[in-house]
Amino acid sequence: MTMRSANAVGVSFLGVLLVLLPVLLPAVGLNISLGTTVILFALAASSVNILLGFTGLMAFGNAAFFGVGAYGSALFIADVNANLILGLLVGAACATLAAVIVAPFLIRRRGIYFSLLTIAFGQVFYFIAYRWSGVTGGEDGFSMTKPPILGGSTPTLNGASYYYFCLAIFALLLFVLFRIVRSPFGLTLQGIAQNEARVRYLGINSDRFIFVALVLSGFVAGVGGALYSVSIAFSYPLLMDWHQSGDFVMMVILGGVGTIWGPVLGAAIYAIAQNVLSSFTPAWQIIIGGMFIFFVLVFPKGLLGLGEARRRREVAAAQDPDVAVAPALEVGLLEGRHP
Amino acid sequence: MILVSRDSISRKAFVASSAAAAALASFPVFIPRRSAAEDLIQIGVTEEITGVYAEAARNEIRGMQMAVDQQNKAGGVLSRQVKLVIEDNANNPGTAVEKARKLIQVDKVNGLLGTVNSANSQATSNVCLEAAIPFIDTGGHTDSVTGTQCHWTSFRTCHSTWMETHATGFSIANKLGKKWYYLAPDYAFGHSLLDGYKDVEKKLGVTSVGEDLAPLGTTDFSAYLTKVLNAKPDVLILMQAGQDQINALKQADSMGLLKRIPVAGPQGELEYFWSLPKEARVGYWGIEWYYKSALVTGKNRAAADFIKAFTALYKQPPTARGVFGYVAAQRLMAAMEKAKGTDAVKISQALSGEHFAGLWEGDAYYRDVDHQMIWPMWFGQVHSEGKGGDEYDIFDIADAQPGDKIEKSADEQKSVCKLNYP
Amino acid sequence: MIEHLAPELVNGVVLGAFYAIIAIGLSLIMNLTGTINLAHGSFMTLAGYIAFTLMSRGTNFWFALAAAAVCTAVVGIVVERLLISPLYKRVPLYSLLLTFGLSLVFEELFRLIWGPSNVPFSAPPELSGATQIGDVVLPTYRLFIMAALVVVMIALLLFLYRTRLGLRLRGAVQDAEMLAALGTNTQLLYMTNFALGILLAAIAGVLAAGLLGLGPTMGNELLMPAFITVVIGGMGSLAGSIVGGLLVGIAISVTTLYVPAASEVVMYVLMAVVLLIRPRGLFGEEGIFG
Repeated sequence: MTMRSANAVGVSFLGVLLVLLPVLLPAVGLNISLGTTVILFALAASSVNILLGFTGLMAFGNAAFFGVGAYGSALFIADVNANLILGLLVGAACATLAAVIVAPFLIRRRGIYFSLLTIAFGQVFYFIAYRWSGVTGGEDGFSMTKPPILGGSTPTLNGASYYYFCLAIFALLLFVLFRIVRSPFGLTLQGIAQNEARVRYLGINSDRFIFVALVLSGFVAGVGGALYSVSIAFSYPLLMDWHQSGDFVMMVILGGVGTIWGPVLGAAIYAIAQNVLSSFTPAWQIIIGGMFIFFVLVFPKGLLGLGEARRRREVAAAQDPDVAVAPALEVGLLEGRHP
Repeated sequence: MILVSRDSISRKAFVASSAAAAALASFPVFIPRRSAAEDLIQIGVTEEITGVYAEAARNEIRGMQMAVDQQNKAGGVLSRQVKLVIEDNANNPGTAVEKARKLIQVDKVNGLLGTVNSANSQATSNVCLEAAIPFIDTGGHTDSVTGTQCHWTSFRTCHSTWMETHATGFSIANKLGKKWYYLAPDYAFGHSLLDGYKDVEKKLGVTSVGEDLAPLGTTDFSAYLTKVLNAKPDVLILMQAGQDQINALKQADSMGLLKRIPVAGPQGELEYFWSLPKEARVGYWGIEWYYKSALVTGKNRAAADFIKAFTALYKQPPTARGVFGYVAAQRLMAAMEKAKGTDAVKISQALSGEHFAGLWEGDAYYRDVDHQMIWPMWFGQVHSEGKGGDEYDIFDIADAQPGDKIEKSADEQKSVCKLNYP
Repeated sequence: MIEHLAPELVNGVVLGAFYAIIAIGLSLIMNLTGTINLAHGSFMTLAGYIAFTLMSRGTNFWFALAAAAVCTAVVGIVVERLLISPLYKRVPLYSLLLTFGLSLVFEELFRLIWGPSNVPFSAPPELSGATQIGDVVLPTYRLFIMAALVVVMIALLLFLYRTRLGLRLRGAVQDAEMLAALGTNTQLLYMTNFALGILLAAIAGVLAAGLLGLGPTMGNELLMPAFITVVIGGMGSLAGSIVGGLLVGIAISVTTLYVPAASEVVMYVLMAVVLLIRPRGLFGEEGIFG
């Protein structure tokens, strides 16, 4: 069976599952808005995947973009114009702007330093949301009511209709990501993931590509966040905290790094497991943490990465800090120094 | 990378991995379902069962369960037995919303109770408005729940932040003095506490001789405390909570401040004080209910029965949290009985304005204008040791403030809170 | 405000000493095996809880401190052998992820065993109260913490530079393969190294419990400043951890005094600045982690 047909079958199966979710979820005793949460977290996880899976950069700050998108749309809808589409655009724009602001700093480092920088900037956004309580409501959160789709007297989407709205946007973005990954731009990103030094020797400015990847990542996370605050009719600072970012990374790892559908599967498993387990035992965090540890040890490629071919990668022994090689997911930077 | 590699994977590998993926994606089918309830009245509960508020949440649930068990023994509501369906909101507003929706849409509860954390209470209240289900906020204090974000579906049992500052403010002015120094934590809650006390200043002619906002997580208060010593107030009003409060108190003690200037604050929770090291059990605090004081329970028989039953069942005395849960559950069930059904509008109307006897001296009612429960609040001093052999009895209640005196007037609330009954 | 500066500076030095000790532990672990230990805070909290349990059974503070440190180090060894050593062949990403999951598990375990609220952990009576030095009044416990951490650092330096085991550890950092070729049991070294890092964390944890209060998230709250200290000071440098810790501690304290609203973010800003100007840190070696 070739890759193309394998992909086609897999995609159709998952696609059908997602379309039927508003029927499947209540059938197993869960509510529809959980499905919406899965889709929107899948967007956030996909945004992490752009950096982690395709570019080889461990981003631990995407919850900040998600949160900026959430507050952006919430504040716009509540205080300026109760219009869902406009709110979505404003939220996404705010998150993209946030990415544009922090990217020039982030592109200057790789590896663990990149990750720490993402945490640092993420936390700055978190504290702004927390402290600027006159605008954001601080730790009490920010309430809003769901707006009509185009303002005025147009209908307000709720429950299943809101789910399909989110699903449509999600499908569109996923398709766009799919095309981007196969485009020369996407291939260059993957080249950077494998061996950035080589890419630069070919005369390509890898910094510019990473910049675009960051902005794209911010945009996708922002869309997810903008739709999420409307879905729960509430925004709160914890959405931006680095633990939330860690959860998004977990979803990518669980589902399959570097695959288009991996983050979706991971988001589904994580969100549903958390929701269901917490109904039955207060020790659910142990189970989820334990599951994650298990995956890291045994299935580091995640569920959808199981069939993937391994690839070896050369490692430059002496590192020039300015042109550091991004850590790929197989052999590492410190290979020469590893036990 | 699946999409780039030209390798084809073997059929076996593909089938294996997609089978695994499908199995995992469909695991929800194997989730054990809670039994559907035909002739039960179900009341949903979301509480912070996991997380930092777990103790308070547990006590709220205990109170609710006691009320429900009692009611069921007496025949239930509308001749049907009542069941609590309890969910964990994990101290996260997003999860609180999901669980509330699950309770409403899947378990089809007729009413909702909860939470401890203010943000979760507000988020849950919003969900109940959207679903038109009655909600009683048991333990979230933020003013907005019965203020700017009030809803016709939503009621609140515990005191609002405004009530806390005013009850303690009046008592402090009465008992400790009228020159105050404020030390508040620098976040939304701290700011609203400060605003409340400043309003008391105006009402009672109190003067403030200093004011400081300390960031959350401050470990060293000595700079602030030195300023307090120099300003020589009658009272230091300490609004920090949690570990910040402990640090401030310990340092105030080691600097000798406590011997010279009494420390007072808006809220003391027993769950919290019981867990403190003895040297931090100092000061005068507002308390929303107490199990061993004539000023609180007086001759109230229901209170005596409640305290006895709770202590027998759980081996420790009930706290204000238990009372929040008990009263909220009890009133919700009584409203259903009075409304002769589970119609949300009728239940809300039955709850509104109805006076009832609680677990304290004097009566209470959920106010018509904003659905805030109007009941007294108390003020007392905490001690490091329990009294008379009871290790839990660490509070000395010194003062009580009546409910309608400490909350904003109905006229003031009218402009802020629009209930918008359908 | 200036009269408050002195006690605030002292406070900053105390905090900085904490961050330094934790950072040294993190750095030791990272340096030898490339393991990024996001569960480091959990070990600190564990030590605090063990000490608390021992003290509530009647032992004195000093015994509890020593016993908790040893027990926690043993737990560390078990974790290292079972969960972390399989990851030595992989990139640091995996240890970061695994220890992240581990910290979640630990946090919940603490809640289940000791309850979700803080437990009353007190410094021993001989260490409470205040001492006067010139014009400045300082809580005795803070002075004790500073002294304790200085002692620990000296002991550590003596260990690393004056004992054979310390020599081997330093050798392994330079070139583990060569050391293995020379017949040293490198796996045993990695285990010892990890245990050493955890021992430092445990000591810091018990000391912190008396200062900050003991709850399920105590260690995690200290972890981020400690990582920032490692970055600022430079990975692989003890001097760097000490200087970095002091810088972070003082920066936070001084900002709390003058610009309180910024105190939570100042350490992140500091780290970002260092990362952008001199990524290897103030004292770090080039090429580690790029």
